Formats: sequence, structure tokens, C-alpha cells
Amino acid sequence: MIEQAPLLRVQNVTRLYGGRVGCRDTSFNLWPGEVLGVVGESGSGKTTLLRSLAGFEPPDEGTIHFRRGEKDHDIYALDEANRRAMMRTEWGMVHQNPRDGLRLDVSAGGNIGESLMARGDRHYGKMRARVTDWLQRVEIDSSRIDDSPKSFSGGMQQRLQIARVLVAEPRLVFMDEPTGGLDVSVQARLLDLLRVLVRDLHLAAIIVTHDLAVARLLTDRLIVMKDGHIIEEGLTDQILDDPHHAYTQLLTSAVLSA
Amino acid sequence: MTQPPKHDPDYNYGYLDEATKRMLRRSLLKAIAIPGYQVPFASREMPLARGWGTGGIQITAAIIGPDDTLKAIDQGADDTTNAVSIRRFFARVTGVATTEETTKASLIQTRHRIPEEPLRDGQILVYQVPLPEPLRKLIPSESETRKIHAWAEYGPIYVRLYEDIAQYGEVTSTYSHPILVNDRYIASPTPIPKFDNPKMHMSPALQLFGAGREKRLYAIPPYTKVKSLDFEDYPFTLQRWDEPCALCGSTTSYLDEVIINDANERMFVCSDTHYCETRRGEGHEGPQLTKAQSVHLTGSAP
Amino acid sequence: MTTMLEARSLRKTFTLHNQNGVVLNVLDHVDLDLAAGEMVILKGPSGAGKSTLLRILYGNYKPVAGAVRLRHDGEMVDIVGARTSRVLDIRRRTLSFVSQFLRVIPRVSTLDIVKDPMLARGVGDAEATERAAAMLTRLNLPKQMWGLAPATFSGGEQQRVNIARSFVDPTPVLLLDEPTASLDPINRDIVVELIEATRKAGSAMVGIFHDDAVSSRIATRVMQLSSRKAA
Repeated sequence: MIEQAPLLRVQNVTRLYGGRVGCRDTSFNLWPGEVLGVVGESGSGKTTLLRSLAGFEPPDEGTIHFRRGEKDHDIYALDEANRRAMMRTEWGMVHQNPRDGLRLDVSAGGNIGESLMARGDRHYGKMRARVTDWLQRVEIDSSRIDDSPKSFSGGMQQRLQIARVLVAEPRLVFMDEPTGGLDVSVQARLLDLLRVLVRDLHLAAIIVTHDLAVARLLTDRLIVMKDGHIIEEGLTDQILDDPHHAYTQLLTSAVLSA
Repeated sequence: MTQPPKHDPDYNYGYLDEATKRMLRRSLLKAIAIPGYQVPFASREMPLARGWGTGGIQITAAIIGPDDTLKAIDQGADDTTNAVSIRRFFARVTGVATTEETTKASLIQTRHRIPEEPLRDGQILVYQVPLPEPLRKLIPSESETRKIHAWAEYGPIYVRLYEDIAQYGEVTSTYSHPILVNDRYIASPTPIPKFDNPKMHMSPALQLFGAGREKRLYAIPPYTKVKSLDFEDYPFTLQRWDEPCALCGSTTSYLDEVIINDANERMFVCSDTHYCETRRGEGHEGPQLTKAQSVHLTGSAP
Repeated sequence: MTTMLEARSLRKTFTLHNQNGVVLNVLDHVDLDLAAGEMVILKGPSGAGKSTLLRILYGNYKPVAGAVRLRHDGEMVDIVGARTSRVLDIRRRTLSFVSQFLRVIPRVSTLDIVKDPMLARGVGDAEATERAAAMLTRLNLPKQMWGLAPATFSGGEQQRVNIARSFVDPTPVLLLDEPTASLDPINRDIVVELIEATRKAGSAMVGIFHDDAVSSRIATRVMQLSSRKAA
């Protein structure tokens, strides 16, 4: 097996948030095709960390390098135009609330198509075919292509958001509580869909969640955060089945079965 | 051409003070240097409400000289209240000659139309712009749209075209169809009908755009590439009418639909009134000219 | 014989932080060598750490001290210190863990569950389908069930799906945690035959079997673990 270079290198990232620490001195690497879970209770700095990694908010300290081609790019040392270009082409963000990641006044097809148009596609017919294909991949009936996402259920909106992100063929996807706010049966369908897509597209992903069952199903590796710190890190099943830190033990014992 | 009363000495020449005119000219020079780029300017209070053409009027006020001849049109018409008022305003504050004839005008201020008569070298067309930002409907944030222009991240603007084709099978917007200026900046062609878009391309005239309420101006220098946005498989097309102008019989001009009586009868007539009159003067006759005269639709007095 | 796995000086304690910090000593100085074609049966009283050892070998539990080296792509790799993606690659192609419990994934059909490890190793879809079908048939799972997700199956049926998944394309090293427990005698014998055939084909195995008849049938070696007290 050839040793690949990390896709994402996070070094000593600290991000203060509203006077409080969001995440403190956080370091880890992410390899191509790897799915990393970030777990911890609300307010432990997970979302703050994710927003910094995804290029939305520069950290107060530390660096984030993304590997493109043979070169590591410090994403906050890049000028904004280049960083935005990378955000459009190299990675994508699936927001917890689909309304934050969709244009609700644009049709379902338009939402997916925008990602294609953003990278320069200018052929309506070809775009339409790709959009239709992606609707099917996320299990939305293609007859709904011209409907407003406002008429979609929460689960459908979330799947639409995922299609909008993945159609751009990113190498890395950030997901913030992708199943939060959905009822259990809808969650299961979405989780299975994500699992298959991540595997088939060989995507790297960072998934923030407080749901350990989600982490178990989707992620290869886990980071446990508490008060802005990484307190434990390792293979997902090892962290969940043999937690070492007191807080992780509390977290895993609090669920009935993950 | 009519010779107006002399410049009213109670007003500075062109109504605006000299410092303001200089500020506007500097902004215009920048706008001409960067075709299609929206330049902010310090929009002044004018003697009419913002949103009524104050951007165009300020540009005209800043560049009009004693030797200019001014034409003002509103939706193509020289004889509407707005057009007449603007002509009278400038006659009073500058004393310049005014005209309805496109070829004789050196400076044309317009709301929502480009004259049918081809423009020539040396003419300046000043547009009144209500909404200078073509992306505004999709992206409410000004700081975000500025970044999009700066880095030409023009994907989202195509969403509008996509939605039209998806919902109606074609691009249905008939006015304000966005343009790409000089292969670089996407700009709003003001709400001119998209019928007029091709006239902007490689026009010999200088085109200036002013939005008084939004405090932005931009420009298309003479002989500049202007492309109407489209998809490879849905090229930009012009709207066509099934019938000629009811008054002058023109089959190549932009037509307005006019309801002529309470029985809901209607006819299509040239939006460019001067063009229509000129053609009628040359002996062209539309199919419903007589009927139109009976309802006083021919504009000028018999 | 080729050494497939070697464990050295394994020590494992559990610190229960939320139960007054109680420390359980489970394993101390445990060594294990495993060669291709061997079946080592772990024996010892309840609490002796049989399952713990098996899980450490799989990388599921992290030892306090010691090393677990595994032959992967021709070289010995320490699974304890290996990077996550390396461990996952080892698990995909070299090492598998077979328990009596199937982890049910929502909406995935029985046939797909059995095919999945083969597809992950690059076996073509047609061949994977054919082999999965043969294995399910051998384990007496009727064809009507193949298209269904096993969530609603009985415990014994789920158990056989799990065994089919593990033995349809067995890895060079298998860790077995009571895979025959609670199977009826007929199906238990089928599974025992499967294990035997797999071992003879060259796989190395470590297993826990409470049924002495089964373990004496399949063992090539027995390793005794003794009970340890809490510190």
C-alpha cells in the first residue's frame, strides 16, 4: 500500500468564539477517502471547528492545509479568490438545516444545476441530464425536478442539499449534524444513502454529530471533543467500544446501543 | 430642433455644483476604463424623487456642454411627461438645444429603450438605471456580489436562465436580460427589452448608466463587446411579433401593445415614437393607421 | 509454516472513570503466535479476558502495552500503532472478526451484505453474486430472504447471514467469537465444516467456543488464559 499524503492537515487550530473558546489547539490529519467523525456534546466546539476547516472562518491561531495536486495549500494564506475557488471545487458543506444550503426560491433542479453552472457548465441539456441522474441517486423522483424545495419534506430537502454538494464532485465533504432534525425512519434512509455515496465516490468526509449511532455507521475514525479540546481520537469502533477518557466513557454509556 | 429659452442664471450650469460634476466625471472616467464595472458615486438630491431617473440626470448634468443637443426618451417615447420634463429641465439649467431626432442628438438620455435609428460615432447614450446589480435578486448581500464580480464567479446568474427554460421551455424574460461586457463584467442592461441588447454590442456610441438611488454608475465604451448570456444549446434569441407596426408598418422595430378602447381592441405600435413618425413622414403606412388617428394615437397633432 | 500473527507482552486494563475510577486488570504479559492453517482455541474461566484478547487482536480494544503484528501484503504490521486507514485496509483484506451477532445496516439486503466484503476487495459483481448465493444456500437461508434486509430475521438467521458474509471469501486471518453459539445442530455442523475447510485452505484462526465438542473437533492448539483480579 502506497503511503498517501494527508488531504487535510490541521495544525494547532484555536478559534475563539464570542469571547469563549470554540476549539483550542486542535491538530489532526485527514487522508483521502477517510471518513472522520467529530463527536462531543453541544457547545464543545465541533461546529466552530468545522466552519474553520471549511473555509468560512479563519482560526485565531494555527493552520489548515489542503492538498491539491502535489502541493499543500494553507487555505487561509491563499487569497480569498483562490480559497473560494477551492471551496467550490475541492470540498463542500452539508449544513444541518437544509435551508442554509439550498436556495428555496429556486427549483430542485436549479439548486443542483447551480453547482454545475458555478464550475462553468453552459449546456442546458447536459446539465439537465446530470441533475436528473443526481436526483435519482439521492432517491428523489425525477418528476420533482422543477418543483420548489419548499414543497419538499425535511428529509427530501436534506437529500437535495447533498446532491447539490456532491454534483460538483468534491474530494472532501463537511457535514454538520446531517441527520439532525429528521425523524428516525427518515434518518435511517439518509444514513444509508450517505454511506453508499461516500463509499462509491471514495469521498473524504468530516461529520460533526452528537449521535454515536451515526458515527458508528458512517465514520472510520473518531475525534471526541470536550470544552474545545480533542480528548480522544482513534478508530471509531475502538473509541466506542473501548473508550479511555472519562468523558468518552460517559458519552458511550449514555446511549442504549450504538 | 427647438431653441430653448436661455440658461436660467439662478442655477449653476447643469444644475449641479462644479465640485459634484467633477466627482461624477472622475467616476465616469473610471467606469469607462473598466467596462461594465459598477463605480460608486455620491448621488445628490435632485429636484425629483430618487427612482425617477436621478442617476441618468446626474450623468447628463455632469457631461452636457453648451454645444450639445439633447434628446430625452421614456420607454422610447419623446412625448411622455417624464421625457418632456427632463428636456425642459436641461434646457432651463443649461440653455442647450433639444431635439426629438435621434440622428441630430449628441446626447440622449433614455429610460428603458435604445432608439431604433442606429447610433453613430460621437453620440452618448445615458441610461436611467433602477437596479444596477444583476445578481441582487439571487444574492442580497452587496459585499458578496462585489466579490462575485471581482472574481467573475458568475455561476449563480445562469440559474435565472436555467429556471426559465425549466419552467417555460425557453428564456422568457423579455427585458433586463443580463449582459457580459468586454468578456469580463456581467451588468444589468437596465430594464431595456432584450430586443435592444444586440444594439449595445460594438455600438459606435458611448453608453453610460446611472442609478441615483443605488449610487452606482457604469459604462460601455464605444466598440465594446457585449454578449447576452445564454446556454450553448439555448442561444440568445430576440422576441418577434406576428404583425407589423399598426401605424408605420415597420417589421423590424420594437412594438408596444396598446389597448385602444373599452371593447378591449388592441394594436401593436412602435415604442420609438420618433422613428415611427419619421417613417410615416416618409410615406410608410401601417394596416391600422386610419383607425389609430381616430383614437388620437398617432401622437403629433394633425 | 508462515507466521500470520504475533502478539507480544499484551497488557490490558480498564479504568472505569465513572465508577470511582475502578481499574480492572484483564490481561498481563500475554503472547500469542499464529501460523497459517492453525486454529488456536482460547480457553479460560469467564473474565479471563478471552474476548478482550480477541478484540485487541482486531484493533477494537487498545492494549495498555504490547504489540500485535499481522502479516499484511507480505510484511508484519503492528496493528496497535497503525494509522486508521491502514487498520481498515488490513480489516478489508487480511483480518476479519466473526461474532454471533450481525450488525444490521438499515435497508441493505441480505445478498448485498454477503457480497459487500467481496466487492470491497475488488471482486466483480457477477462473481460476488454467484458466490454469495452459493454460500447462503449452503447455510440453508431460503432464496426468498435474500432480497430482504435482515432486521426482521430471527437471531439464528441473522447469525448465519453473518457467517456467510465472513466465510464466502475468507481473509487470511479470522477471529471467531462464538460463531456457532445458539445454532441448531444441523446448522452448527455446517458452520463447523466451513471453519474446518477454511483453515485447511490456509487461513489462520483464533477462536472462542464454549461447546467443547466443537472446539475439540476444530482446534489445532489450545491456549489457556487464567483469571485475574481487580487491582
